[in-house]
Amino acid sequence: MKTAAISSILLLFFGVRVFLYYQNQPQFTEGQLVSFKTELHSEPKISNRQSLSANLGNRRILIITSSWPQYHYRDSLKISGKLESRVLKDRTKIFVLFFPKIEKQNSNNFLGVIVKVRQKFIAIFNKTLPSNYSALLLGITFGIKEKMTDDFFNELRITGVLHVIAASGMNVTLFGGFISAIFSFFLKRQLALFFSIFGILIYVVLAGFEASIIRAAIMGILAFSAQILGRQRLSSYGLILAGYFMVLLSPDTIFDIGFQLSFVATAGLLYIRPIFYSSESIKRILGNSLVGEDIATTISAQAATLPILLANFGIYSIWSIVVNALVLWTVPILMIIGGVGGVLGLFFDLAGKSVIFLSLPFILYFEKIIGVFSNFGGILKIENLSWQIVSGYYLLLGVVVYKLKNFKI
Amino acid sequence: MKKYSGVFILILVFLGGIIFYQHSRFNDNKLHIVFCDVGQGDGIFIRTPSNKNFIIDAGPDDKIIGCLENHMPFWERNISIAFLSHPHLDHFAGFNYVIKRYNLISFASEDLNNKSASFQGLLSQLNDKKLKIQHLISGDSFKIKDGTRLSVLAPTKDFIDKTSPNGQIGENGEFASLIVLLSYGSFRAVFTGDSQASELKQAISDNSIQGTKILEVPHHGSKTGLRPEILDRLRPDYAIISVGAHNRYGHPNKFTLDLLNEFGIKTLNTSKNGDIEIISDGKNFKIR
Repeated sequence: MKTAAISSILLLFFGVRVFLYYQNQPQFTEGQLVSFKTELHSEPKISNRQSLSANLGNRRILIITSSWPQYHYRDSLKISGKLESRVLKDRTKIFVLFFPKIEKQNSNNFLGVIVKVRQKFIAIFNKTLPSNYSALLLGITFGIKEKMTDDFFNELRITGVLHVIAASGMNVTLFGGFISAIFSFFLKRQLALFFSIFGILIYVVLAGFEASIIRAAIMGILAFSAQILGRQRLSSYGLILAGYFMVLLSPDTIFDIGFQLSFVATAGLLYIRPIFYSSESIKRILGNSLVGEDIATTISAQAATLPILLANFGIYSIWSIVVNALVLWTVPILMIIGGVGGVLGLFFDLAGKSVIFLSLPFILYFEKIIGVFSNFGGILKIENLSWQIVSGYYLLLGVVVYKLKNFKI
Repeated sequence: MKKYSGVFILILVFLGGIIFYQHSRFNDNKLHIVFCDVGQGDGIFIRTPSNKNFIIDAGPDDKIIGCLENHMPFWERNISIAFLSHPHLDHFAGFNYVIKRYNLISFASEDLNNKSASFQGLLSQLNDKKLKIQHLISGDSFKIKDGTRLSVLAPTKDFIDKTSPNGQIGENGEFASLIVLLSYGSFRAVFTGDSQASELKQAISDNSIQGTKILEVPHHGSKTGLRPEILDRLRPDYAIISVGAHNRYGHPNKFTLDLLNEFGIKTLNTSKNGDIEIISDGKNFKIR
């Protein structure tokens, strides 16, 4: 009764917020002259021209400008120009500004330092590893998107491991799980948890304080503290409330794929993963094998995120679960090598490079696995996923999870 | 703890294996020339028998990077000299990416400017790295201890003054472009950039071109690059065309292809053959 009352109040509040948010969005039309300030949320793409992606109100727009001066991630720009509308390859309509007037604004000092540090990371990684490898490691470690070759990107996509290069709750959870395992080797449970959370917070700073990473970190912390403390109910409430406030703060978040993936993957870890551990025999097998824990983690996260991955990435391989099970164990190790190497490299170039070199065997292994499996075929190609199928899938998943939970082998 | 140190040693062993493999693959004491498949543009990588790296042009985008990575060990990041044949986008834009990943020890080009924002951008990046452009002129040459020699055959100062009196490179018609002769033992290769027939003809009047095995066809195989008298004098075994598939200029031109055919010169094309690698021990050479 009490829960129901609280839920309805929260939902009502949410409804009002969403209504007001979309009510107050300015409208834009083609040919309109606009002048606005924006911050770049990604590194511009440079060829002989430079294309920036920016936000105008709650819309994403494209800005085409000359290749010099170069703009960077987190630059704060004042842009004025005339909106033109274009249709992209995937048939979505988008507003484009061609060669508008761009003035660079001073960004604040704290962010300025973070941006400098991130650029230094990129420079160190790029000067140490081949381009595809450095892009992969930068993606895994800091969620930084650097250009990789189309072939390599497609291999990641087809085999269903593209999520490792996005800053998602999954990476943070794997990272947290790994360092907490190391810490609990030496320390008491609570202390290990404390240090692990501290580790994740350092990671958030290194990864540039991006909204998506902060969200992922909050949800990741919830998921793995539940694993350590064994208090599942508490983390479920925590996850729901965290998700609720994130969406309340900025209703557009709900359309963000990173948010959807983090939320659903974390929910998967909370509800589906324990099923593997409800039986003593399975538990023993998982505990003894090298990749057992990762298989459990992967299957849980994959089962929960499948429709989102299908709807957003289109191509999906039936080998995806196998590939994830084979490569996911390298992710926390690569994150630590990347993080330590990057930070060392800020001060001692050679020391940083030497640490980053240690990632090579893992990355080569990673590359070989996805290379082999991307040629295996078995690709499910799905153009359109109707909402009926998606909700049917989640309903079924819910029932299966509920049934299995009360079922002891 | 034992488990972790075991894993660490295993990583080091693997890393050692990778280094050993790449070392034996790339450091074979031979001269390597790679015409990189950079699409419509030029990008050439040269690795000498003593493992010194050179680039002549870097193509229109970042495709050059993949080519460099495939032809030198991953830990090597020094490029002794980066040559830019002439300041046109399809030859210099790739340097924006090369600069970020490799240490250029020096940068050399002809004494011509290009007012475009992209070229000024490259200049300012070179400036940030404290690299000054060495201006080359016909007669300059670089000698490496292992016996490799890079000689600049063109342009002459007169030619630059005649074709670009204002010091700016033209977009069409006649403009100056570096022509570089690479020699190692009795092996010779000529790199021509976007030079035109008149400049090339003048450049090869020198006797050092005797025994040219490899000729880069000027200007992506355009109509204005080759003349019968040029081929008659050079008599290369192979002609290499660096060109993108279905480019809007119609390169390579049929006239040029027919001419090469007439002289019985085997022709390779980056848009069809991909990266073209030539390996020489100073006497013989093979193509991979």
